[in-house]
Amino acid sequence: MKKYSQLLTIAILSAVLSVALISCDKSISEPQRVGYTPGSLDEKAGTWKTYVLTAPNDVTLAAPASTASATYQAELTDLKSKSASLSQEQQEAVVYWGAGAVYRWDEIARELAARYNTPSASNADGKYPVPDAANPLADPKFPFANPPYTARMLAYLSVAQYDALVATWNYKYTYKRPSPSKVDATVRVALPTSVLPSYPSEDAVIAAASYTVLKAMFPGEVPFLDAKLAEHQNSRIWAGMNVASDLVAGIDLGNQVAAKVMAKAKMDGMSAANNQTLTAGMVEAAKGRGLTEVWQSQEIPVRPPMLPNYGAVLNWNFDAATKVKLRPVPPPALDSPEFAKALDELKTINNNQTREQARIANYWADGAGSYTPPGHWMRTAANAANEANEARYSEVRMARTLALVATSLMDAGVCCWDTKMFYYYPRPQQFGMKTSVGLPNFPSYTSGHSTFSAAAAEVLSSIFPARTDEFWAQAQEASDSRVYGLIHYRFDCTAGLACGKNIGAYAVARSKADGSGL
Amino acid sequence: MKLSAKFLIISIFIIPMVAQAQMPHDAIYMGKNQVCVAGLYGQSSWNQYWENTLKRENFNIGTFTMQSVTIMPAIGISKRVNVILSLPYVWTSTSAGNLMGQHGIQDLSAWLKVKAVQTGGFSLHTIVGASIPVGNYVPSFLPMSIGFQSRTATGRLLANYREPKTGIYVTAHGSYSWRGNSTIDQDAYQANDQVYNTNQVQLTNTYDAAVRLGILRKDWQTEVWAERNACINGDNIRRNDMPFMTNNMQATAVGWYGKVQPRNIGLNARVGYVIDGQNVGQSTSYMLGLLYQINFRK
Repeated sequence: MKKYSQLLTIAILSAVLSVALISCDKSISEPQRVGYTPGSLDEKAGTWKTYVLTAPNDVTLAAPASTASATYQAELTDLKSKSASLSQEQQEAVVYWGAGAVYRWDEIARELAARYNTPSASNADGKYPVPDAANPLADPKFPFANPPYTARMLAYLSVAQYDALVATWNYKYTYKRPSPSKVDATVRVALPTSVLPSYPSEDAVIAAASYTVLKAMFPGEVPFLDAKLAEHQNSRIWAGMNVASDLVAGIDLGNQVAAKVMAKAKMDGMSAANNQTLTAGMVEAAKGRGLTEVWQSQEIPVRPPMLPNYGAVLNWNFDAATKVKLRPVPPPALDSPEFAKALDELKTINNNQTREQARIANYWADGAGSYTPPGHWMRTAANAANEANEARYSEVRMARTLALVATSLMDAGVCCWDTKMFYYYPRPQQFGMKTSVGLPNFPSYTSGHSTFSAAAAEVLSSIFPARTDEFWAQAQEASDSRVYGLIHYRFDCTAGLACGKNIGAYAVARSKADGSGL
Repeated sequence: MKLSAKFLIISIFIIPMVAQAQMPHDAIYMGKNQVCVAGLYGQSSWNQYWENTLKRENFNIGTFTMQSVTIMPAIGISKRVNVILSLPYVWTSTSAGNLMGQHGIQDLSAWLKVKAVQTGGFSLHTIVGASIPVGNYVPSFLPMSIGFQSRTATGRLLANYREPKTGIYVTAHGSYSWRGNSTIDQDAYQANDQVYNTNQVQLTNTYDAAVRLGILRKDWQTEVWAERNACINGDNIRRNDMPFMTNNMQATAVGWYGKVQPRNIGLNARVGYVIDGQNVGQSTSYMLGLLYQINFRK
């Protein structure tokens, strides 16, 4: 038996060693965001140009009670008791929301986009049921948060946040009610403070505006959004940052602005974006211009193209006539040497995709189950503003940044879809290519990734000029990724990049004339 | 896009257990200074899979096939202690749709098998194993990916009873495997209904359990088996979406194994069929192997 026990010992020791080598700590670390004092309070932001509001006083807000009033003093007492000592959970909520209200709601929106970004399954009849907004949690869920849907969702979210904050800054500096800890130094605060007036609470404004937009965009997520809205407001009390009337006023103002923004959304043409009856005419028009083989869905069963009339949705930074002027020149004829050359490049990759090509294709894929390319660039924009160490962004400047990028991304989506459906150009898979990233179900020319990426890079380079090369390198790589993933010809991508840059320039021009001086 | 995950079964579960001649889960040992080298070809395919619990087909995949060739030496340190190594080359394809097949060298596995107790026909074995990715393959392109780019460590306890006269035996074993985190090409991904802003993917640990009933003679072996392989937890494939590495993949499979080795050269074969599962393909698999035994006498 002694021999056996020796063997057992060896075996057990080996087991322990193997486990130790692997290391049992499997925790994953993500970048942590914490509260900060902005480089500037942007005191004059109440005069910045808005998107939907004609003026900040399109929305109204009554004057607050003075800090000397009994009403206010009662609120202050209540605030002190609720912020005096926090549970672990309350502290975590304070830190989470303290990283930035616009930042967090944009992050939530991207997460919702990822969760809703799956195409419907075909049914027994070989048809693809259309998501139903009135029954959002049925199969298929509403919405299908594909790139056009997500671009638009993020644009309305960012515009609502920005317009609401411009109105907020207007009223903050109209009423100039100091924050609670400036009124009473014994208020225990858990986040960095400033002399920014606190009525109405910018956090409550952002929460209400974001909540209203996201509830409309993701109607199946009301309980989830309710919980976020409540936690965000509570976190301001727990942090000692706002009294109750700051929050009530903020919710009221945020709701008013979001209602106006969503009224515009209802009229922008999105309700007709999935008008599939138009595709027959689009096909005929493309053939009439000489295209010998039009795009066809490669899915089995054949799936109708994604939102064929999204190209008719209203743009933010230019009008419909300009959109037509921005449309790229026609792609090469299918029997041209230029097409043959582009297909040859793909054939080479199809035969022997390098690991680096696969990496780039995967990194930028942003396909089903992701927050899409617009989400990817909004994340880049939000992080750039959050990490701008020399002058970290106030909420209103963060919102301005995201609104410029998001409106440009939606403009890019609309223009690109207009181009795609106008030319109705076939995908490389119609010429035998495989794909390592999944094949989008709409025409090839031009590349959506390229258009989105160049528009975003153009805007971001204007806002963060020191990072221009970095943003353009990313846009170029995102564009290349679609060639490496074999779903776009090179000319789809170069045309998309050029068009996206032109689209971004309109948002840049706006940013130079919005009164911010930035 | 929708794919499935039988892949998982093959790449992390079936390949290590593909053959049974002095394998990490039998009670057979090489003698001291003996080496048996197995060259194995395996194929596994499915045309239906479980998307979460929903059994479905996918016209944009048709039939998914994963094939592999594996070199697997078993080395006799002593007649009670064996070391088994395995290194597969794997490639995938589909019969429909346009997903690009993947191919490459997968993970190197090493097993230490120790016969801890032998009393009459009964024996108890402790087996530990570890694997490490060798090829720089893409782990996140399921079901086409050939592996998970994850280190693993496995502890296994195996009990065997063999009736000496007839060679009839029964084997039961259970294992627990730790899986290390995987690094993917993307710097964000969705799992567990949330977005993770990192390129690190946490893979849940796994377990397996199996029973085998067979006859082992000097020159040949035949066996029927049932196996359960499963993750400890994880999320599910979302409706009509791709599978992902964090999915809670589970499979119960049955099959047959046989071996003939009259001299130094032998053959083995295995067939398997998944009868139930979740987040995996319902695969049918087979394996054929050529065995070559070398005696290093001093």
